[in-house]
Amino acid sequence: MRSFWFGDVDGHGCTKAEGDLEALASRLSGIRTNPDEIVPPRWEQAVECGAVRDRKEYLNKLRKICIRVARDRVAAGFRGKDTELIQMVMLLEGMDQAINQIGERAADWYRILHPVETWKYRTPDSRRLLAGIGKDADGPLKEALDGILALRGVRTRLAREIAVRSAEVLPNCSALVGGLVAARLVALAGGLPRLARLPASSIQVLGAKGALFSHLTRGTPPPKHGIIFQHKRVHNAPGDARGRVARALAGRLAIAARIDEYRGAPDPGFLEESDRMIESAGGRR
Amino acid sequence: MIWIGDTLVSPGEPGVYGERVLAGHRVWDPYRSKLAALYHLGKGVEITGSTRVLYLGAAHGTTVSHVADYAEVVYAVEIAPRPMQDLLEVAGRRGNIIPIMDDARHPEGYAAAVEEVDLVFQDVASPEQAEIALRNRVFLATGGHLILVVKTRAIDTTARPEEVEAGVGDAIRPSYSILGSTWLLPYHRDHVAFVCKK
Repeated sequence: MRSFWFGDVDGHGCTKAEGDLEALASRLSGIRTNPDEIVPPRWEQAVECGAVRDRKEYLNKLRKICIRVARDRVAAGFRGKDTELIQMVMLLEGMDQAINQIGERAADWYRILHPVETWKYRTPDSRRLLAGIGKDADGPLKEALDGILALRGVRTRLAREIAVRSAEVLPNCSALVGGLVAARLVALAGGLPRLARLPASSIQVLGAKGALFSHLTRGTPPPKHGIIFQHKRVHNAPGDARGRVARALAGRLAIAARIDEYRGAPDPGFLEESDRMIESAGGRR
Repeated sequence: MIWIGDTLVSPGEPGVYGERVLAGHRVWDPYRSKLAALYHLGKGVEITGSTRVLYLGAAHGTTVSHVADYAEVVYAVEIAPRPMQDLLEVAGRRGNIIPIMDDARHPEGYAAAVEEVDLVFQDVASPEQAEIALRNRVFLATGGHLILVVKTRAIDTTARPEEVEAGVGDAIRPSYSILGSTWLLPYHRDHVAFVCKK
């Protein structure tokens, strides 16, 4: 017997699939043909079956059902608990870029108005600097600076929210590298299911695309770490231990991602053991 | 194919993605569409009002909308949810696009819906591009055409694009007769299109 969207066909004839659009859609969605025995349906079969009158109706009906199936699958694809987290990370990155870019432009403008101002031999905290400029600027420049300060506030709250969500969705990864870095890893991998299927060596260099490809094509030294460098255990490690720490951490992250994806609950025993292993690689807390 | 001077166009309701309109026809930009590039290079396969098309890697439905202007019906396969949203919008306004949200690497998922077609157009960025072309051969009628656009960078970033092209050619040669392969320069870099017949 062969199952098609309009019904089941066997040696004796054809049994028409019954039901409304929703039923037909969920029926089609469930059919999986044996890959070695694929025989495409013919519209004449559907007519013989009594499912449709002619080719025009065949295409119309099939189109409606397929649109319905696709709609349901799109909705299901967006229901994953990691999809919202990914968008939050993307927004955060966009904000960082905007804040840096607009901030630098505004500061340059300010310096034209105040030629004597120089920031050499001073290490002003950028937030205080912008606020300071804001006081004696006016018009659009002041508004732009105020906008940046406001955006900075939103950014801080967004980052905090990401960390909170991340601890729920990725309890083990978040415990290992912190919520923000864990969320960034998921965004880079393209979702938690994908992160859970990545080998540790890939996780180690996620976010080091430039360095990795220049290593592959031009033979430069391979990157030791990608985004996980942002975690203090990696960037605080002494230079000669950093690669080792990154490797150990990535190894534990690969397992943590799998626990998060398939079990979804924190595993204290695993986390303790991970801590010990990363510490013995040279990464202090 | 309809040309107005040197410009490839397609007949149909305009305004799908802000494309230019020339004498009531939609301009089909070779820099945006790899299939349009192939026609501009003189190597495309004619699509007529009776052509049935299986389109693998439909993405946002930009090229699909032009193909649908010419073809009888287009089965448009796309796996990612975000582009599928756009494709559904296009399919909703055109009666001859059948959107299929499924994985082109696994035709068994949509074998119950896709009939035999005259043209398979494949434009997916996957390391398994040759295997996908082989697995979808069952949908192609004898004498039908396969247009396989290979993004060589998706198969191997370190190999020279010409080596990747040769590898793909060897992989599909036992199953298809290859009529020719064309690099899509100057419109698209590192992309080669195989035109084949079953």
